[in-house]
Amino acid sequence: MSVSSILAETGTVTRFAGRVFREGFRPRFEVQELLYQCYVIGYQSLPLVGLTGFIMGLVLTLRLRPTMVQFGADSWIPVMVGMTIIQEMGPIITGLMVAGKVGSNIGAELSSMRVTEQIDAMSVSGTNPFKYLVVTRVLAATLMVPVLTVLSDAIGLFAAYVGINTNGVTTVALFTNQIVARLTFGDVLPAVIKTFFFGFAIGLIGCYKGYYADKGTEGVGRAANSAVVAGSLAVFLLDLLAVLISSLLGLY
Amino acid sequence: MTAFLLITNRLPLPTMPQRPVGNSIRLGAFVLTGLGCLLAVLFLLGRKQNLFSRSLVIEADFRNVSGLLTGNNVRLGGITVGTVKGITIVNDSTIRVAMSLNTDAQPFVRRNAVATVGTDGLVGNTIINLTAQPAPAPPVAAGDRLRTTTPASLNAMLGTLDISNKNLAVITQSLRRMATKLDTSAIWQLLNDRQLPATVHLSLGNVLATTAQLRQAAQNAVQLTNGVRRGQGPLGYLLTDQQFGGQLGHAARQLAGTSDTLAATLTGLKRQVQTGAGPVHTLLADTAAARQVRQSLRSVQQGTAGFNQSMEALHHNFLLRGYFRKQARKKARATADSLKRVGQAR
Amino acid sequence: MLPAPTPAPPAAPTANPAEAVLTIANVSLAFGENHVLQDFSLTLLRGENIVVMGKSGAGKSVLIKCVIGLLQTDSGTITVLGQDVAALDHNGLDRLRTKLGFLFQSNALYDSMTVRDNLLFPLRRQWLTHTPAQEAELVKQALEDVGLADTAAKMPAELSGGMRKRIALARTLILRPEIILYDEPTTGLDPITGREIDHLIREVQKKYNTSALIISHDLACVRLTADRVALLSEGRCYAEDTYAGMQANADPQVHDFFV
Repeated sequence: MSVSSILAETGTVTRFAGRVFREGFRPRFEVQELLYQCYVIGYQSLPLVGLTGFIMGLVLTLRLRPTMVQFGADSWIPVMVGMTIIQEMGPIITGLMVAGKVGSNIGAELSSMRVTEQIDAMSVSGTNPFKYLVVTRVLAATLMVPVLTVLSDAIGLFAAYVGINTNGVTTVALFTNQIVARLTFGDVLPAVIKTFFFGFAIGLIGCYKGYYADKGTEGVGRAANSAVVAGSLAVFLLDLLAVLISSLLGLY
Repeated sequence: MTAFLLITNRLPLPTMPQRPVGNSIRLGAFVLTGLGCLLAVLFLLGRKQNLFSRSLVIEADFRNVSGLLTGNNVRLGGITVGTVKGITIVNDSTIRVAMSLNTDAQPFVRRNAVATVGTDGLVGNTIINLTAQPAPAPPVAAGDRLRTTTPASLNAMLGTLDISNKNLAVITQSLRRMATKLDTSAIWQLLNDRQLPATVHLSLGNVLATTAQLRQAAQNAVQLTNGVRRGQGPLGYLLTDQQFGGQLGHAARQLAGTSDTLAATLTGLKRQVQTGAGPVHTLLADTAAARQVRQSLRSVQQGTAGFNQSMEALHHNFLLRGYFRKQARKKARATADSLKRVGQAR
Repeated sequence: MLPAPTPAPPAAPTANPAEAVLTIANVSLAFGENHVLQDFSLTLLRGENIVVMGKSGAGKSVLIKCVIGLLQTDSGTITVLGQDVAALDHNGLDRLRTKLGFLFQSNALYDSMTVRDNLLFPLRRQWLTHTPAQEAELVKQALEDVGLADTAAKMPAELSGGMRKRIALARTLILRPEIILYDEPTTGLDPITGREIDHLIREVQKKYNTSALIISHDLACVRLTADRVALLSEGRCYAEDTYAGMQANADPQVHDFFV
């Protein structure tokens, strides 16, 4: 992919995002469809995100333990794991899982609708397909990824608690206090805020790839595939951006 | 067309076209759980930072806050009772720290409590420790300014070294005075006195004790200079303190004087012994007294050796090397001057 | 709900100079260098079926997408039921589209919805309000019209190609359109199913007195459904006649289509 084509693609995606905002703020609002998409993107992704969150928390704790014990810093395990999960691992893992599951789903669904003229059929049926399909999905992803991240964080921390309790007993209160004692708003809020952008990027890229899919069979596959790749990449880029911005603001 | 059908059949599309009420309930539960978790964390953090409990603000002025930040903890007896709310520079040597104190802890923080800047563990955050004083005092009220102290530092250590040097000077002075008294006519009176052996015995005992003190003082000096050598910090203090150097010189001179006097006394005593007359003989016959004299002489020797050592240490100490070098230069210049003068006179 | 109002009497379509419901006048459209439509003109009368024939890629589908406002023309005017399509704003276009039906080549049934929801989608999305009882009645009516009354609860993926085509037609019919645009209605179907669809098109025309613009190159379909045939070639309306007239046409270009 040449530089100019990347720039052109970025430009088109930006214009697409602009259209999402323009059309999103104009009535009529597709509340029913938005709620349904929230259900599909949010609730139906929870098992996957929750499972990865649990495994992540458990593995992180068990891996960290030998090193920390060597340094005689067992009491720092909850802090280390908690900070890692809340600041980076939770948002990133959730973002990637959603980019994989939801991004591909949106990309495939919209591109197949495009290919089988369902999008045109919506226009003909007096429905703005952009609003009905794109705006609702982008908005639902934007709103649901933070919720999924918070739940994934919670599940990950629970897994960390389980992991710590495999070697000796720690009470929930102590575990919570150890984490909360080191945590500040500057750790939590940027980590939550950036997930809104993750969700927006995943939804936007999925919709863009699907909505402008090539006609034909391979267009659908390509749309689903590139939605996942570009979505995951966007999650990492936004995360980098978030770190830079919050260190500029002195939050870390 | 058939291809399209195949794709659409294979696609992982949601198979729940109807949107029953159950979905809304699940979605609602999902979102509320997520929001609940987030709010719980934010509440815990807020409670930690006293956003929700009532608080009062008290102040304290420090010379140095060692990187204290807004939001750091304020502790009373190791328990967090508040947070640092603001840090302002009042002037070049005063940093004013405003602390917001939980109202729950207010009765336990007395007006005479002392605030110090400390660290939480070896690598932890900077914190403010409030230390209660034994004297009774009313609880703090909003706007009170607490007293502060600075924990021990190199400054304080150098101060102690100065004092012990002064002490050393005093000790050697009194030792010299005593030796002079021995040397003057009083010694002959003593020698003629029938009670001389007992008195000498006693005074030699005193000498012994004094020299032991001297040795201890010298050891102290060694320790302190070692401390200085290890430490780092305000070098200028020692280097610019002419008085300190002067005192050291004075002490050395006096010690030298004392040794001289002792030597003179001992020559006298030796002569007495050689003549083999008078109560000196008795004195020498008293082996215990002789041993004491030897011991005390050895003590003096050790004391001077220790002092030598400490002077040597001071010479090598990089803190003071500059000072000694300056002294040497001054001496060299003085010699050169006198030589020049001699030359001119010729 | 009754069929759409018909102010003009539904006389024999070709005989009387009846009211024109769709007028395409001098329409041109180019995609870059590719001039798909060049000065194309055609008039559709009330109750009349016109089949537009042409080679693949000649711009037949583009033509009817211009009619329904999915594509913008470069020049020329398209007047549907007295309204200039290009001059309509978003809401105006939506209102006009309630009177226009469009049967997509690939049916465009919403895969994620049942047949019932597919039929109700245009009904609920348009500026119309119905009670649940009215909705159920309309769905039942539309499904009976296409002979698939018992498929309401099925998913489109469970249906055969011919059934899907019928459901798509039912979804078009539920709004009682005055004009139906068919995009290759028999392509991809076996001949027997294709003939069933052709008869259905005729039945709908009779029952609701609709006009239809049909895109096709299936000769059997053209013969069964067309009142008039137009041949689209090089972006223009090359020839226009009844099926019999076209068949008798000696012009080699026309003749090639009717071998």
